[in-house]
Amino acid sequence: MNNVLLEIRDLHAGVEGKEILKGVDLTVRRGEVHAVMGPNGAGKSTLGGVLAGRPSFEVTAGSVLYDGRDLLALSPEERSWAGLFLSFQYPVEIPGVSITNFMKAAVSARRKAQGLPELTPAEYLKLLKEKMALVQMKGEFARREVNVGFSGGEKKRNEVFQMAMLEPTLSILDETDSGLDVDALRIVAEGVNALRTPQTAAIVITHYQRLLDYIVPDVVHVLKDGRIVRTGGRELVDLIDRQGYEGIDG
Amino acid sequence: MDNRVYIIGRDSVPQYLRLDAGEELAMTLVVPPGTDVQLALEIDLTGPGASLDLAGLYLCREAERVDLRVLVRHSSGGGTSRQLFKGIVGGTARAAFDGLIYVAQDAQKTQAYQENHTILLSDAARVESRPQLEIYADDVQCSHGATTGYLNPDELFYLRSRGIPEAEARRLQMVAFLAPVLRRLPEPLSEEIYAGLS
Repeated sequence: MNNVLLEIRDLHAGVEGKEILKGVDLTVRRGEVHAVMGPNGAGKSTLGGVLAGRPSFEVTAGSVLYDGRDLLALSPEERSWAGLFLSFQYPVEIPGVSITNFMKAAVSARRKAQGLPELTPAEYLKLLKEKMALVQMKGEFARREVNVGFSGGEKKRNEVFQMAMLEPTLSILDETDSGLDVDALRIVAEGVNALRTPQTAAIVITHYQRLLDYIVPDVVHVLKDGRIVRTGGRELVDLIDRQGYEGIDG
Repeated sequence: MDNRVYIIGRDSVPQYLRLDAGEELAMTLVVPPGTDVQLALEIDLTGPGASLDLAGLYLCREAERVDLRVLVRHSSGGGTSRQLFKGIVGGTARAAFDGLIYVAQDAQKTQAYQENHTILLSDAARVESRPQLEIYADDVQCSHGATTGYLNPDELFYLRSRGIPEAEARRLQMVAFLAPVLRRLPEPLSEEIYAGLS
């Protein structure tokens, strides 16, 4: 098995002709948790969106190898089948679609792509209950319409629930801590930590150090104005906590 | 309340219905794929406290011509009418919805609501929505709303990012959009509509 899971080289990307990422280099190995920190407007969410294949972003230069494959050549659904998962900063409401049906469609599509047989209804239900328990969601949750009328905390728990259902190899958590109270933050972090394995990796995108008290990163990057200006260990989080992003440069 | 379901092009649809005092009617009109139609329907709430719950859906994704005209007339007070029409229009199809709510001078305490929402699947598809209110009483609650749009690209990306293939994701979006009307249909018919969304 290839130890390097993600290799981003000189990635340039933007939206509507405006360049946001101006040459990002990042290597993630299996078993690692990376934090990408930075001020607002640095390009953190763009990085997550580009990796997941959001169509509104345009990649103008650079390359991304994921598990040895050209990630940028894959559609969003193919990236998901390959084990990539993006937890959205702003999860989308889908009126009329229940969580059960949403996840059933997602799980079946993935199993089909992987050449696995469909789960029986009983197997699916068991999986659903097991993963709901991980983020402390109760029975009626599965029947609710996707994110409709959810509180901020419920939306983020729903993201981690979906992550658990899809058992990703690379999880990208985009500002999963924003809008969470301490209890919701702990539930989300425990969910993420429970899914850590030596074969998988995660990129935690965040503005604040708060979430990183619960999900402890191995490597910390500071993204400013579309570039990673500094890479270090946990001590970088404390430094940012003390002096902000102002004085941190390459 | 019974819900009378009419499939346009197969069932004969009444052109005029009247609701007497306290009478309740729930009715659902379905324009299945491949149907050209010109339909005019008038429902008159002649008795006090009559109640109408009317819904409709049109699914035209090729070159259909759909023209729906609905007049809901409140002639007497204390009545309630709700209308919800939803459609998906693609290809070179054209759909028009004319909805008039008429509230007579004596029809005080009327509540009348009408909504018409359409999703366009192609640049060549056309929809014309003309909701109208004509109100002569002063103590009423009436509203109408019409929207025309495309499938939401943020929803689509969200679904695809979870591994749902694009075509299936679009189908889910359409099912979700039509859900409030689809729920009113008996199973063989709703199954047929689902099949028409693939």
